[in-house]
Amino acid sequence: MSFRHRSRHYDDRRTDDSRSNRGASRWSHCRKRGADGNLRPQDDPNFTVFDDAEKGVKSLRHPDSRPASFTTPESAGPVSRCADWGSEVEQEEIRSGVRRDMQRYRRRILAGDFNERERKTSSGSSDSRDSPIPAEMETDEVVLMRRQKQINYGKNTLAYDRYIQEVPKHLRQPGIHPRTPNKFKKYSRRSWDQQIKLWRVKLHAWDPPVQEGSDLQAIEEIDLDEIMEIESGTGNSVESGATVQCPKASKGSMTIPEDSCSGTPSKVMKTEAAFDLEMCLNEVEDSSKSLGL
Amino acid sequence: MENSCDEDYRIQSFDMETQDLLKTTLKDPSSVDLKEVSKIIVDHSLKDRAFSKEAGHICCNIVQVEAQQTSSSVFRYNLLNCLQEQFEAREETRKRSVQEWVCYVTFICNIFDYLKVNNMPMLVLVNPVYDCLFRLAQADSLLNEEEVDCLVVQLHRIGEQLEKMNGQRMDKLFDLLRDGFLLQEGLSSMSRLLLLEILEFRAGGWSLSNSAHQYYYSEVAD
Repeated sequence: MSFRHRSRHYDDRRTDDSRSNRGASRWSHCRKRGADGNLRPQDDPNFTVFDDAEKGVKSLRHPDSRPASFTTPESAGPVSRCADWGSEVEQEEIRSGVRRDMQRYRRRILAGDFNERERKTSSGSSDSRDSPIPAEMETDEVVLMRRQKQINYGKNTLAYDRYIQEVPKHLRQPGIHPRTPNKFKKYSRRSWDQQIKLWRVKLHAWDPPVQEGSDLQAIEEIDLDEIMEIESGTGNSVESGATVQCPKASKGSMTIPEDSCSGTPSKVMKTEAAFDLEMCLNEVEDSSKSLGL
Repeated sequence: MENSCDEDYRIQSFDMETQDLLKTTLKDPSSVDLKEVSKIIVDHSLKDRAFSKEAGHICCNIVQVEAQQTSSSVFRYNLLNCLQEQFEAREETRKRSVQEWVCYVTFICNIFDYLKVNNMPMLVLVNPVYDCLFRLAQADSLLNEEEVDCLVVQLHRIGEQLEKMNGQRMDKLFDLLRDGFLLQEGLSSMSRLLLLEILEFRAGGWSLSNSAHQYYYSEVAD
């Protein structure tokens, strides 16, 4: 997919107000849990997982003159200002996970693991950025953490759980089965966000089936609201402080109620066509060389 | 099975209803209010010394079970924030009850010891733990055997890990301990003994030489 406009820098945030502050969307109940891990109640307005991720960016606009992030001798990288320990540890977990993944990825590249798989999935794209040369790897932690959160967001769904149970890795076919975008590849912000969007859309094919007679069966369009929200860091922001806790977690059934998401594969395919997503998907398949799951 | 659960987690001191709640939490975390559970655990640890010494164990297991079953970390999130609230109120706690304060330090150090994130200690706790230990090394605390005892016990358990996370602060802490040992008037002989032992312990790379061990820990034959 070619983009005429590249974001100026990786942390450029969208300021598209029409996309912020959405109410509950059709797909929000397909999410098992919210940003802080709380199981989500049925009528919870969707909130993004990016409030933590964007905190570093948000605080750039902080009124007082404190730096947005600081480095202490002990920390190996910038530390964003997290007010509470709970959120801070969530960040730590993602950060250390990202670092561990990076080491693993580097080792795999150096071991030449990728060569064969690359040849299989490549369809002759001339985009040189897609070759996994270590020098061209994405290493900016801020970016990697943001991407990891977006990935977690998608993996944190019943659809994903059902997908990985149904289709083991070795049976996956490119083009048909969604692949998690590879966070270590260099992509522009827009390109990445688009890949995530499309990955999430494809995953919806594995949403749990909906009961007969539910309103949601009457959808004509795929509701991309839920996916758009990924771009808006402002809407429905969850303050990491006190109020996030969801006492309804105690009701917490892991299973989504029967009358929630629709999205049988056939519906998804039809509506994809209506949106010309096929065209987008074809382009993405050409250029996307996701190597991770 | 029930009995070993009690022993493993030292939950005998909880009332029966709470014990049941904890056992349920360990089996099916999504069926309980994890925020409530974390609060119960933190509150109880302030009251029960024995529990505070090993509470990290049950917390660690709850975190693991929750992660395995629901891929979430609600309990940990709430536990840490509860811990933080108590940390911010530690001076008041100490004024109100030295025992509660000592229990709190024991508890937070225990959590630091047990609750790891991707096999590493939680960075966010490093400075708060140090702050607690520094407080214990202040003159007024050194005069309480209880607090000195708590200080050296925690250093035995997590000193080495803490030092790895921040060596400078450990150095400063031990400066205080040396000063305290040498200059603090009114120290009980037990307190002096405890301080001397921890000074040697750290100097030996967080272990005692055989002869020092003999000196401090052997039965004295008259």
